[in-house]
Amino acid sequence: MKVDMKLIRGLILPIFVLLLHVTQAPAQQKAPLSWTLGWDADWVTAVSFLDNQRIAAGNKLGQILVWKLSEKMGEPAPSLRLDGHSNTINRLLTSPDGLLISASNDHTIRIWDTGKPAKGSDTIVLNDSARRDKLERKQKPPVAVEAKVQVIDASRVLSGHKDWILGLSLTKDGKTLVSGDNKGEIIVWDMPDAREKRRLKTKGWVWAMAVSPRGESLLIADRIHLVFDSGRHAGLQLLDMKTGGVQRDLSKDKDFAKHMYAAAAFSPDGKIAAVARGGEVDGLNGKVTLLDPATGKKIRELTPGHLNGATDVVFHPDGKHLFSSGRDTTVRMWKVDDGKLAREFGQPRGGQFKDWIHAVAVSPDGRWLAGADMAGAVRIWSLGSR
Amino acid sequence: MPIWNQHLSRRRLLKGVLATAGGVAVANWGGLFHSSAVAQDAARRSKRCILLWMNGGASQIDTFDMKPGRPTGGPFRPIQTNVNGIQVCEYLPRLARMTDKLAIIRSMRTQSPDHPDGIYHMHTCYRQSERVPHPEIGAMIAKFVGNPDSDIPSFVRIGSTGNAGSGYLGPRYEPFSMGHDCRMPYFSTPISTPQTQQRRGELLRFLEDQFGAQHRAEPFLSHRTSEARAQRLMRARSVFDISADWPRSQERYGNTDFGRGCFMARKLVEAGVPFVEVGQENYDSHADNFVCHRGNMDVLDPAWSGLLTDLQERGLLQDTLVVWMGEVGRTPYINNRAGRDHFVRAWTIVLAGGGIRGGQVYGATDQNGREVRDNPVSEGDLFATIYTTLGINPRARHYVGTRPVWATPEGAQAIRTLLG
Repeated sequence: MKVDMKLIRGLILPIFVLLLHVTQAPAQQKAPLSWTLGWDADWVTAVSFLDNQRIAAGNKLGQILVWKLSEKMGEPAPSLRLDGHSNTINRLLTSPDGLLISASNDHTIRIWDTGKPAKGSDTIVLNDSARRDKLERKQKPPVAVEAKVQVIDASRVLSGHKDWILGLSLTKDGKTLVSGDNKGEIIVWDMPDAREKRRLKTKGWVWAMAVSPRGESLLIADRIHLVFDSGRHAGLQLLDMKTGGVQRDLSKDKDFAKHMYAAAAFSPDGKIAAVARGGEVDGLNGKVTLLDPATGKKIRELTPGHLNGATDVVFHPDGKHLFSSGRDTTVRMWKVDDGKLAREFGQPRGGQFKDWIHAVAVSPDGRWLAGADMAGAVRIWSLGSR
Repeated sequence: MPIWNQHLSRRRLLKGVLATAGGVAVANWGGLFHSSAVAQDAARRSKRCILLWMNGGASQIDTFDMKPGRPTGGPFRPIQTNVNGIQVCEYLPRLARMTDKLAIIRSMRTQSPDHPDGIYHMHTCYRQSERVPHPEIGAMIAKFVGNPDSDIPSFVRIGSTGNAGSGYLGPRYEPFSMGHDCRMPYFSTPISTPQTQQRRGELLRFLEDQFGAQHRAEPFLSHRTSEARAQRLMRARSVFDISADWPRSQERYGNTDFGRGCFMARKLVEAGVPFVEVGQENYDSHADNFVCHRGNMDVLDPAWSGLLTDLQERGLLQDTLVVWMGEVGRTPYINNRAGRDHFVRAWTIVLAGGGIRGGQVYGATDQNGREVRDNPVSEGDLFATIYTTLGINPRARHYVGTRPVWATPEGAQAIRTLLG
């Protein structure tokens, strides 16, 4: 039989491409990106939905902006600027009554009533950094993207901490707020008065923190970030919120020992907790681990982990899904019951090391997912009607 | 006068050999190649040096050359020091209260941007690529300031430090290295009684003397020198025992490896060691620079300030130069790993004590810390300043074969305004 070499040669490339596609294409469905809210003043580091239409984001400079989203319009512009913080916004939360709570490296927690009358207005340039870069290189800058914003101050400033505040969590009823700082100080606040109720102490710097929905337990991940020195520390504990005592020291468990966790969350019913390994970890070890808070035992590990580390973790309001973000510019949606990766949002971006999605948030109705993008943007994806 | 150290004659070797109390011939630690005039001068003043080595390279912008409000500034905030107009990082509060002792050089512009070559360059003031094996600063100071009659080593390293050793100065000035936890090397612990040890030593030396009379090669000399040092060290090892004093000093220095190392350094210079280097790890913060530096400064601040306080209280600070430096600075630009990379164009080194005029900043960088604006300082200039402070001629000359080499490169200038 005569072999048609020309035909074979012609088939090799398409077959190779097909094989490559089959082996590399993610099995998950890609979600549509609905909006990119550009804001390049610095890295966007925190994000929270105020309600189903409004979203707040904070950045490394301590600035906070609020956008109103509408499916009927194009790219929305920010409408509100929240003035007061002077250093990185590490966490943003929204209370059940719609107050925004922010924790910062400036050692303060601020509580914001975004419905209160503005103290003034201002015009901001959302692509200021890009323009400045071009001007420094003596190139033509892009057209300024301007937005007129109302400006408000915080309703309350909580000054109980004396160091960077990286831990912030709220009970489901919004009556108890817990915050933790880099001196290992944990403060339990009675809300809405923001009265200091109790102080607890950890050995290391509080990094990730989640209070259970009904306020019985507090999951705390702390660390002392030294690479080689004997003073290095990585802790993970469940504390009793009533007594302040240690319920379970998970850092003695082989599943959790020596790992540093950048994020923690409880499921809406409080029966499952999730912790996400952070810092710059090797390869795909930026994994989320589900655990049973009643026993402290690992339920399952979600794989693959985020390349170089995870940054945040949050449950969907339905309790059946979980979202994680990482240092690989992606957000992942996981099925809680079997730990399978359901969808992936975003694409790895950057060189050898990717840009980070610093934080994620889901709207109260579960229809929208937001990611705080290091590149200077808030990205919002539609989750459809779940 | 040239200092000969390579073509070692038997006469010179014999000149450098001492008779110990037990009649044991032990090679002189520092005397063989001594330039007597300079050495006597330095010894008279009993100058010493402690090098605090920031292994990996500390960030100048996050410590002593802060740029608040600039895109390169980072999340740390400056605090006022006890010197009007000088600010340092908020996580160096104890040092801020001692800034009148510090001379901050903000205008280092160096040439070796990576670790091995940077470590070599900042320990020798010469490029690693040169064919001449240059000695580390510790070896040079041991030679010119060390006490040749001392049983304890004249060049001690603790933790991660230099990589050049004694270079052309020869095995006599090789460093004595301790672990980061100040643990003594295994050979320093005798395995038998002192009497047995002495008898064995005498026998070994007798045999080696016989052998050495016919084999005068460098490796043999090196071997004998090391052996003699080990013997002497075993006799002097109590100097290294800080177990009784350390608990009382933990609070001042911080209960860390580096804190313990700084305390050990204080004990050693007090006992007459002219040069001690203490390394602090973790500075190579290509990722998570700010948490790295935050953790490091929590260790550094009490250790360094505790050392200065201790030296001052004991009347040692005036004659003990404390140098704070690493092999590189770190980039003003913050990368997408929240890190800062290596940077040699404009970075910071700090000197204190030893006659240095404190409470001043030398040199300046531009508003974003990208370039030196005033008074650039090279490796050679820095070493010339250090050597001058310690009474060592920065142009001291040695010979490698027939080739002359100098303690600092041609053109290096001591920074006169820093000298007290």
